[in-house]
Amino acid sequence: MIWVSWRRQRPQLITLLAVLVVGAGAVVLLRSNMVDTINSLQLNGCVTRVGPECLEGSRAGDFRGAWTTELNLGQAAILALPALIGVFIGAPLFARELEQGTHVLAFTQSVSRTRWMSSKLVVALAPALVVLIALQSLVSWWLSAAGLLGPRSSGSFHFLNFGIEHASPVAHALFAFALGTFVGVVSRRTLVAMTVTLSAFTVVRFALSDVVGRLVPTQRLEVAAGESLAESRGGNLAVESGWLDAAGQRVSTDRADALAQACKTTAAGVRRTQEEWLACLPRSGLAKQYATFVPEGHAWQVHLVDASIFGGLAVLLLAGTAWVLRRQS
Amino acid sequence: MNPLSATAVGKRYRTRWALRECSFAVPEGKVVALVGPNGAGKSTLLRMAAGLVRPTTGELRTFDTPTDGRTHPDVSFLAQDRPLYRDLTVRELTRACAAMNDRWSADRVREVLGLLAGVDRDAKVDTLSAGARTQVAIAMALGRLPRLLLLDEPLSDLDPLARDETLRIIMTEVADRGTTVVVSSHLLSDLREVCDHLLLVDGGRVQVDGDIEEVLAEHRVLVGPVADESAVGGTLISATRTGRQSTLLLRGAGRAPEGWAGTEPDLESLVMGYLRASRERRLR
Repeated sequence: MIWVSWRRQRPQLITLLAVLVVGAGAVVLLRSNMVDTINSLQLNGCVTRVGPECLEGSRAGDFRGAWTTELNLGQAAILALPALIGVFIGAPLFARELEQGTHVLAFTQSVSRTRWMSSKLVVALAPALVVLIALQSLVSWWLSAAGLLGPRSSGSFHFLNFGIEHASPVAHALFAFALGTFVGVVSRRTLVAMTVTLSAFTVVRFALSDVVGRLVPTQRLEVAAGESLAESRGGNLAVESGWLDAAGQRVSTDRADALAQACKTTAAGVRRTQEEWLACLPRSGLAKQYATFVPEGHAWQVHLVDASIFGGLAVLLLAGTAWVLRRQS
Repeated sequence: MNPLSATAVGKRYRTRWALRECSFAVPEGKVVALVGPNGAGKSTLLRMAAGLVRPTTGELRTFDTPTDGRTHPDVSFLAQDRPLYRDLTVRELTRACAAMNDRWSADRVREVLGLLAGVDRDAKVDTLSAGARTQVAIAMALGRLPRLLLLDEPLSDLDPLARDETLRIIMTEVADRGTTVVVSSHLLSDLREVCDHLLLVDGGRVQVDGDIEEVLAEHRVLVGPVADESAVGGTLISATRTGRQSTLLLRGAGRAPEGWAGTEPDLESLVMGYLRASRERRLR
């Protein structure tokens, strides 16, 4: 049965292999070129830490100008790969059989529907995941060579960084693939399945990208009015921020804005200075500023939540696929 | 043990009943002609026997096992649209079907593919002619060494030569292995050569079920005057009346009365008579 599935899936598997070879070759080549550039510009020190010469100056600027687009494209490729797996491997897997009626051939042999389905799933999915993981590791290896000179400097929670690290790409690919198979068995049309999969995956992916960060424990920083909240920013994931009154209760955003505005002028209508304004705030009830955030070091927790949500959805969709196929006539 | 038996089988697609209250039993070793107009429920019946469609009511059994979403190991099904993996070569397709079956005879497949015109085993299924494709599909069905062979329109889309070849493959199978065959077709004259049992379905119901010779012997075609039909006995199935004479198809008519000429109908006129009658019933 594995041979049958392999033979049926051969064009896609050859394409996958080609993607792997071309992708790996490109990354290896680009990385070695990039390392040469870093060496020739004498920027090696900037890869691991941010010195003054790394932030401004023509050498770092030259490097960023030359390599940012390439590095971002590498990230985008890994970000897009799960969608492509869903659209080109998941969606046609059963839709094509149902569309051409060839499922009848399989269903009238001794092999059970469950075995037929699982062998097709494994043969289609396993190589795709292997290629995805391989390319993910290669791009990650390339990105580390650029270190803080490259996109990594925007922190683990940046959309491009978060989506290509840890278990997230695999979970997204599983979800896209399962979504493709499910839409495929329901619609029974390859083209419909591919389009719906692409749109649904994109929508869910964007919709959930903001949600996952809120599902892990956050840290809270409180500072007096006028002091800096910078410690909560940087590479961290900002969740919420606002004002607290003297009792430590949250002040609604509208009210806080109104109070802060009111403090800018005295009762007589004279404009207050910055110091006077800051002194006015606690008196009007804006005692402290706070921010909640997920520290960058806890990114792995967010990745786990992300992976379990998408993985869970994938399992549900695969169960749905099996259910529909079992009832298929 | 009947290879195929139905007890009050019904199948509803949304609001339309494709089959209703169908009861029959196919005796072992028979070649059954399943006939009826388009949309009579022939394909539904065969797909149900192959375990692809579940009955809405009643029960369909193959070798005394209810068909429950699975094809019985002793049953082979040739679907009307000949589902084959078209991007594979004939050789690869044979390997695929062998891999999907617990019991498989490569010799039988080779034999059927080598019969008559023969099929190029390294050609892609896609490039084959309709006749060769049907031959390949039948070879795959016979590779399972079935004891009940279900053929849905095996002769449609075939030229006379390919039709003849296909019929000969089926006849060889019956002669060699005593396989029970249920074949649906519109080509009654071709069926007459191979079939010995008739199952006439129309409007989702079984109209005639019996040995072809017996069924034909039971019926009479009477040709006589338009004016007086009072002397005619038996059950009137259908009648064509022109200005000058009436042609009546009757069941259990006995001897032809005075002024009437009686003959035994052939399969074609018998089936035509029943189909005409049921169409008139529907139109009324």
